[in-house]
Amino acid sequence: MSDPNPVSPVPPSSSPSPPGAGAAGTRARKIGALDLFLPNRVVSGPVMGITILVQAALVLGLWLAKPVALLPGPQEVLQALARLWSTQGLGPELFTSLRFSLEALAWSTAISLTLSYLTVLPVFRPAVALASKGRFLSLAGFSLVFTLLLSNAHLVKLALLVFAMSVFFVTSMASVVAAIPKEKFDHARTLRMSEWEVAWEVVVLGTLAEAFEILRQNAAIGWMMLTTVEGLARAEGGVGVFLLNQQKHFKLEEVFAIQLLILGVGLFQDYGIGLIRRLCCPHADLTLERRSG
Amino acid sequence: MTTTHSYHEVLLAARGISVTRGETVILRDLNLEIRDIKRPGVTQGQVVGLLGPSGIGKTTLFRVLAGLEAPDTGEVLLGPEARPVARGVMGVVAQNYPLFAHRTVLGNLVIAGRRSGQSGAQAEAKARELLVQFGLEEHSRKYPAQLSGGQRQRVAIAQQFMCSEHYLLMDEPFTGLDLIAEENLFRFIRAMAQTDERTTFIIITHDIEAAVAVADTLWLLGRDRDAEGKVIPGARVQAIYNLAERGLAWREDIMSSPDYLRLLGEIHALFPRL
Ligand SMILES: Nc1ncnc2c1ncn2[C@@H]1O[C@H](COP(=O)(O)OP(=O)(O)OP(=O)(O)O)[C@@H](O)[C@H]1O
Ligand SMILES: [Mg+2]
Repeated sequence: MSDPNPVSPVPPSSSPSPPGAGAAGTRARKIGALDLFLPNRVVSGPVMGITILVQAALVLGLWLAKPVALLPGPQEVLQALARLWSTQGLGPELFTSLRFSLEALAWSTAISLTLSYLTVLPVFRPAVALASKGRFLSLAGFSLVFTLLLSNAHLVKLALLVFAMSVFFVTSMASVVAAIPKEKFDHARTLRMSEWEVAWEVVVLGTLAEAFEILRQNAAIGWMMLTTVEGLARAEGGVGVFLLNQQKHFKLEEVFAIQLLILGVGLFQDYGIGLIRRLCCPHADLTLERRSG
Repeated sequence: MTTTHSYHEVLLAARGISVTRGETVILRDLNLEIRDIKRPGVTQGQVVGLLGPSGIGKTTLFRVLAGLEAPDTGEVLLGPEARPVARGVMGVVAQNYPLFAHRTVLGNLVIAGRRSGQSGAQAEAKARELLVQFGLEEHSRKYPAQLSGGQRQRVAIAQQFMCSEHYLLMDEPFTGLDLIAEENLFRFIRAMAQTDERTTFIIITHDIEAAVAVADTLWLLGRDRDAEGKVIPGARVQAIYNLAERGLAWREDIMSSPDYLRLLGEIHALFPRL
């Protein structure tokens, strides 16, 4: 044959296998503890639940054992938390921070998604690429600029956090948009869609599940940066300022307590976003071997 | 054999198609013409096979015929009035049966109807009708990721029927199907072709057996050779087989008919030189 490129004529079907099929599924009925130690195994909910409990107990045990004497143990931290909550007004501060972080999250989501979707227009691509390079810039350097530009302290804070989150959000989301394969566009085109309709169907709706996932990561990044931002613009208080104050006085138990609280709130938020994602995009995890829920 | 059929108006014509990618000439001055064949007393659309070895340029031709890619020269014209092809006019099922992963089976059909100008109610009614016709009613609420390969393929075809009624262009529809699934697809294609005089399936494939079994006209794509027998790059039509004329239009027992086997032998002998 003169074909310079002899390819196997029947490539394996690329269609996803039904749940329970494949190497991992063949022994699925006999899930034992051994499966936990074999690669690519899918284990049942109860087995995973026990695994989680065991590992949580290990971490707690390690903490109780106090390998580093300097660090506070669980009881001290919990006592500190109760103290902060009842006598020092940690609750209202937390509420301030939570409201602020949600506000920033909403803004940064709106801005980042808009910018990412705009990359379907070539004219916006360089600008968006530039915006995503903002990841390398220090927040501290912007606080003065925003203070000079913006009228009130809340706006300065908001601008700082929105900026900090958006540069990461845009980077992830724009790359999701850029990675959409040509065949998806072509498929939509064969259905008589205009290019705008193609953009809506393929770029906006087609990446919604990924957008939620990125939103989730950015919500976490937001909490991480919140303390820095609140520290840079302290007028309104918030857990960030609270934390920095405790830190200044070497109150390690209190610092741990606040961290623990932030972790709890963060996990709750993370779970909430995951829940919304599953409701809005039930298709999202169908092709995964390790499905959540 | 007596000619019990007659050729009517041109359904699709490709004239002087050339495609070059970089240095590689893929299609060279390719001409094709598909005419409506009518047989007395039979309502019958067309099933046309475009057959060629792997790497010859079939997918490239597919994209040109679908209007997804403009050729360097030449044009693709549709119908007796010879309107230039525009994407969306021709139903197109690509090699991997693309669907919108974020929509259910029903949603995939409805959106295709909506985007081609039907009202929500119209689109839904038509979608349900097609789902019944394709034996997919029970899957209407599933997502594409929950379908088998064959079901997925049928949904992809149904989706194209939502907006382009008469032409359906398929790239390698037999890839990855087992014998039974393949025969089901033959039967399905024939049944669909029989529902309407104007329905035209154009099936692009390298599978000789399948192409001969399902098509009633077969176009062989291949490259010319010069006087010294060297290959001239760029695929063109090398042979045309009218299977209906040879009494080889599809029927259940086609694969065991001697005429079918003879033609297979003929094409197999030709193939390595294409
Ligand atoms: N972007 C490209 N640049 C250069 N050559 C290309 C490009 N795309 C495809 N080709 C070449 O064009 C030829 C035809 O490709 P095409 O995909 O149309 O083949 P095909 O007939 O569909 O093959 P198969 O049966 O394996 O699907 C091949 O030899 C391929 O190597
Ligand atoms: Mg191909």
